[in-house]
Amino acid sequence: MTEFDTRFEDTGERRRTSDAPLSIHDLLDGETVQSIAQEAWSALVGDDEFLVPLPGGLPDDALSSWVEIVGPWTGTVVLTCGRSTAEALSRALLKEHAPPVLEVEDIEDALGELANVVGGNVKAVLPGPSVLGLPEVGSAPTAGSPADTCRVDLLWRGESLTISVQGAAGALTDPHENNQNEVPL
Amino acid sequence: MRALVIDDSRAMRRIVTGILEGLGYEVQQAGDGREGLDVLDTGWIPDLVCVDWNMPVMDGLQFVSAVRSNPAWRSVTIMMVTSESEHTQIVRALAAGAHEYVIKPFTADAIRDKLALLGLLPEEAVL
Repeated sequence: MTEFDTRFEDTGERRRTSDAPLSIHDLLDGETVQSIAQEAWSALVGDDEFLVPLPGGLPDDALSSWVEIVGPWTGTVVLTCGRSTAEALSRALLKEHAPPVLEVEDIEDALGELANVVGGNVKAVLPGPSVLGLPEVGSAPTAGSPADTCRVDLLWRGESLTISVQGAAGALTDPHENNQNEVPL
Repeated sequence: MRALVIDDSRAMRRIVTGILEGLGYEVQQAGDGREGLDVLDTGWIPDLVCVDWNMPVMDGLQFVSAVRSNPAWRSVTIMMVTSESEHTQIVRALAAGAHEYVIKPFTADAIRDKLALLGLLPEEAVL
């Protein structure tokens, strides 16, 4: 068995719909999210590009990219930073392949791809089977319950960015609260 | 040698294309599996296809199945380059007919190593 097989071995654990909903805090922590993001930064942005776990303020023009995960845990992985940071990230990602003038579409595409890579690797540490959605870019989606949100505040080249793994709104409600389809015994 | 890079992210297309051109490949690009099949339909048959999994219109797995169902494209080597890193997904891709699997994030060296394993490093890259 390879190291990869061991990392992603199917444990055989399966869940019923009647099981209590999963909270993201039961599944991963901020250190794991930061580690996943750092791996993406090192490989795609640059070997010597580091994410420092320090909070900083996001500017008013913040831009977000996100991917949805649907499975035993359902929610979104959201990457948010200022527009100038997003442009710098795009240039770092594209390196010598960057066009002389970056269009808005180039920046949104690059930020979306970073969310896609981080989201795909977050999905890998969550219980499966899960489906990964296509990346979207814009204003951040509505935050879910704080009890189902794992947010890390980071600095890259001194600029703030956040990565939030947040449950879908209402995902933590009791599954028996809306049981109109259940037939009473 | 020829390569076709299929990814809905143009940033990722540029990155993978840059790596392959640096190794000596002649590269064409497509934004989804359907566009990729359109390139093959023109008769431009690549030695290698690097294809993402999650894409609109036609995803990577559907593309792999379509290529494998056409005997004229049997010689094409397919490498999936994707953020889908679960073991079951890798098994599905290989079962559908992909030859190799690279998980994003990747480095240029990782792509080069996979191509070496596949015997698809152009001579100028080996020297």
